[in-house]
Amino acid sequence: MSADSAAAPLTLPNQGSGRRNMLERVVAAATFLLIVAFAATIDGFATTGNLGIILINSASLTVLSCGMAVVIISRGLDLSLIAQMVAGATIFGMLISGGVAAPLALLAAYLSMVAIGALNAWLIAYVEIPSMLATLASSMFIVGLFRFAVLRGEYLLLLPKSDPTVAFFAGRLLPFLPVPVALMLGTLMATWFLLNRTVAGRIIYAMGDNFQAARLSGLSVRVTAIVVYVFAAFTAITAGLIMASASGAVDFRTVTNGTLLFEVILVVVLGGIPLRGGRGGLRNIIVGVALIAVLRNGMTLMNVTTQTQDMLKGLILLAAIITDNYLNPRDAETDTAGDL
Amino acid sequence: MAADFHFASLPAQRVPRLVVSPRRLLADVLSKGWVESLIPFVALICAVCGILLATDGYFAPSNLRNLAQYAPDGGLIVIALLVVVAVGGIDLSVGSNFAMSAFVALFCFHILQLPVAAVLALTILAGALVGTVNGAIAGLLGCGALLTTLGTMITVRGLYTLASQAQLVEISSSARMDDTWDWIGFEKVLTLPVGFWVLLVVAALAFVMFRQTRFGWHLLAVGGNRKAARHGGIRVRQTIFLSYLLAGSLVGLAGFLFAARQNSIGSDTGIGMEFFALTALVVGLGGFVPGRGAVVSVLIGFTTIYVLNNAMVNAGFRGDFVQLSMGAIIILILAVDVKFRKNRHRLLASTYLDPVAFETDAVKGMQGLMPDETAPKLRDATILAVGQVDGPEDVLLDKDGNIYCGSRDGYLFRIAAPGHEKAEVLAKLGGRPLGLAFDRQNRIVVCVAGMGLMRVSLDGAVELLTDQAERSLFSVQDDTTIRMADDLDIAPDGTIFFTDASKRYDIENWGLDLLEGRPNGRLLSFDPATGQTRTVCDNLRFPNGVCLTHDGKYLLVASTWECSILVFDLARLREGPRVLTSGLPGYPDNINRASDGGYWVALAGMRNPVFDAAMKNPQLRRRMTKRVPPTNWLFGNLNIGGVLKIDGSGTIIDALWDTPDGPLYMITSMREHEGALYLGGVTNNKIGRLELTGADPGWCGPTSYWGAQG
Repeated sequence: MSADSAAAPLTLPNQGSGRRNMLERVVAAATFLLIVAFAATIDGFATTGNLGIILINSASLTVLSCGMAVVIISRGLDLSLIAQMVAGATIFGMLISGGVAAPLALLAAYLSMVAIGALNAWLIAYVEIPSMLATLASSMFIVGLFRFAVLRGEYLLLLPKSDPTVAFFAGRLLPFLPVPVALMLGTLMATWFLLNRTVAGRIIYAMGDNFQAARLSGLSVRVTAIVVYVFAAFTAITAGLIMASASGAVDFRTVTNGTLLFEVILVVVLGGIPLRGGRGGLRNIIVGVALIAVLRNGMTLMNVTTQTQDMLKGLILLAAIITDNYLNPRDAETDTAGDL
Repeated sequence: MAADFHFASLPAQRVPRLVVSPRRLLADVLSKGWVESLIPFVALICAVCGILLATDGYFAPSNLRNLAQYAPDGGLIVIALLVVVAVGGIDLSVGSNFAMSAFVALFCFHILQLPVAAVLALTILAGALVGTVNGAIAGLLGCGALLTTLGTMITVRGLYTLASQAQLVEISSSARMDDTWDWIGFEKVLTLPVGFWVLLVVAALAFVMFRQTRFGWHLLAVGGNRKAARHGGIRVRQTIFLSYLLAGSLVGLAGFLFAARQNSIGSDTGIGMEFFALTALVVGLGGFVPGRGAVVSVLIGFTTIYVLNNAMVNAGFRGDFVQLSMGAIIILILAVDVKFRKNRHRLLASTYLDPVAFETDAVKGMQGLMPDETAPKLRDATILAVGQVDGPEDVLLDKDGNIYCGSRDGYLFRIAAPGHEKAEVLAKLGGRPLGLAFDRQNRIVVCVAGMGLMRVSLDGAVELLTDQAERSLFSVQDDTTIRMADDLDIAPDGTIFFTDASKRYDIENWGLDLLEGRPNGRLLSFDPATGQTRTVCDNLRFPNGVCLTHDGKYLLVASTWECSILVFDLARLREGPRVLTSGLPGYPDNINRASDGGYWVALAGMRNPVFDAAMKNPQLRRRMTKRVPPTNWLFGNLNIGGVLKIDGSGTIIDALWDTPDGPLYMITSMREHEGALYLGGVTNNKIGRLELTGADPGWCGPTSYWGAQG
């Protein structure tokens, strides 16, 4: 008995029933089939060079997905993730261009992310605005603020590519390890640690499973909400640094066209993390990212236009939620109107 | 017998015309149902005032017409979103769907060269198609609405971009002209653009749908509580499906109007539209609330956002600043709304009780008559019908000596003479029967708290005389309903004078009225001939017992919290009351005639110096009610009561008390009948009977009022 209870906290919550993980398995199988199909049909897909490109290109998406996954597991939603990403990158870029030392600039950028994440958490956990609406509004607010006050109405902020810090983020840490991939791995490990090895992680699962029960049993759900949203903000700026350094620019249109946010949500849903939270872990994120990354890479190699890609991804999302609904049907007795 | 007092020389009682209190005003406003839809109104007024101050001639007719020209598509989309949100969903695909519909309209018009009616039909169909997909997945299959519509949003946007890129050149180079098309896009009917009329008609239809149709009610039921709706037999999934279908069609209509007006589309058409619509909806509903079909509120929210947006752009602010302020506005409104909804009932509970300082006259005229100074005369009383009656607030005796009394559970009992042993039900009234009186036709008129004024004939037939009074001027809270009809008496001409002890508290909370100490009661009159209820005197402090003087010219009214007895001149009611006697040792309840020309006054409880002091200190009572459990509140002493005998001039001449542990406590009524006094108590389960010495053995109440023959 005592051995069981000691071992229990180490068990991942998503390792329970087989049926629950069906979507994850379906997606993993689909990814595998897709890899086989692409490898057979597309020249240059199954090469180590292309594998490196897939990894580098999916680094920022993975990092963002980690933040979103943690938020969703705690039964939240952060629609302002992309806005935070560009806002953080903008702060960093402005400071770098203004001649501020790189460590200071990074520190300032990360500190301001703490502020933004805490503001989101405050709106959600203390003011008690539903997370979807709170982050939707804060997204508008952040983008408006930065374009108004910092960019003076522009959409684009160019980064000095020659700057050593920018070059560092776009370069390689070790000969075989590009910095974006290293950051991606670091974020994945941090996510795993947060979810599985910390008190906050246990509370995050408890909040997602049954928020009222978690709150009423005295868990510090409000403080944990701050941890969750600040963590998400950290992943946002990390992704922002990767993306801005790679492209040499911070583009606010990534927020307005909504594609990236959509991809992040797509990754989480495809990985099998339900929007109602309480379940899911690192494996789910990796599975979700794998499918999207492979799909994106393969379609780009086949010269499919972005619009068609978007359309296909939309259809995949619809297919995924229909499959998920078939595998894990909602209970009509507990189904409430507020559940979006 | 003439009255033994000179009315004009009695001190006048001050009765306030109006009770003004900011806290009460707040509490009354908070308890109003419309307070929740106040937010969009306030927001609109703020926006309009701000624009008026900041700009010049913004609301000129030409600009208003311009605004109306561009309003319909946004307005229709907000209504479409409302339909979906009302059912408990959300639709993020409205922007993409809107763009796609506009494309379909232009494609059908310019490329396929279809007649305008067919274009309209096909466009609405295209919008409905997206709605069908949404509805099928989110409604019929029961998937999450957010993800579903996110998926269709991205898919349709991709489809739109592909399609518009392929056809844009051909569409913009088309030279087709059509009168109907241009009429829809540019003409005005009765000074308003055609599109605006469409918006108005759709809004009216949606209003009627939510208010009057079965489908609209089903929508709100599903949005309000999906489980309850399902258990109630509503086809939840079909209802959700139809709501998305309807929303999609409305978006299609919006896209058609846009196409007819703009005659072109761009890559950014409809981008951000879902956020704009959501903002308008949140402002209009004062939050994100499923199960509310408030079309008017939502249109007001839309107008606010639309005008604000437009004015900011007109004033030269860039789009980014507009976006910034929109985000801030949503956060602000949501924050206010969430906190308000959560704390409204608490705020209401803490502001409703609104004590005021008031001073009661010191006890006077009781030398040698206080309970510790005189023998407890009620000790000699015999106890009747123990356990058979529950809370006989008033007792009434007919000429034959049968006792009538009300009970806590709403019955009127008769306890037959001569033995007075068994109580039998005369009538079921409901409510809480309090004061009783015989009218000229030997029927019992009853004041029933919670019901009003009722009349019971001796064969048990019940009729309601009145349950509503005139609404007093300047009252925020609707005070037409008679909450606590307490006691009555009937004038020789048949007019019934009765008291409504408190307009603000129900019978179970009568104690709070004392702690508040405000003049919340009123004296009413009911004329059986005309059926009219009139307010004789408003703003009295817990007017309780009512008794007509022996000559039938004056009316005695006990003011319980003031420990005084007021007197009205029936010939000159407008002059208001004067004080017959004040400084009673307890809280007077009912007053009834005595055979010797004096009156009996029941004392429901006794005053004590601590509580008298507390009445001077409203803050103390406020804090007490907030911080101390009700069982520990300071209050008057209800464990002992008694009966005072006053003469015709109001001087106390005798006092009857029970022993401190006696069965007759909290006496609220007493009737003299053939040489005996019958006593009732509102919390007692028995009736006391005390043989009086020196009383007229032939005197009885009905004869005193209506003569021996009646």
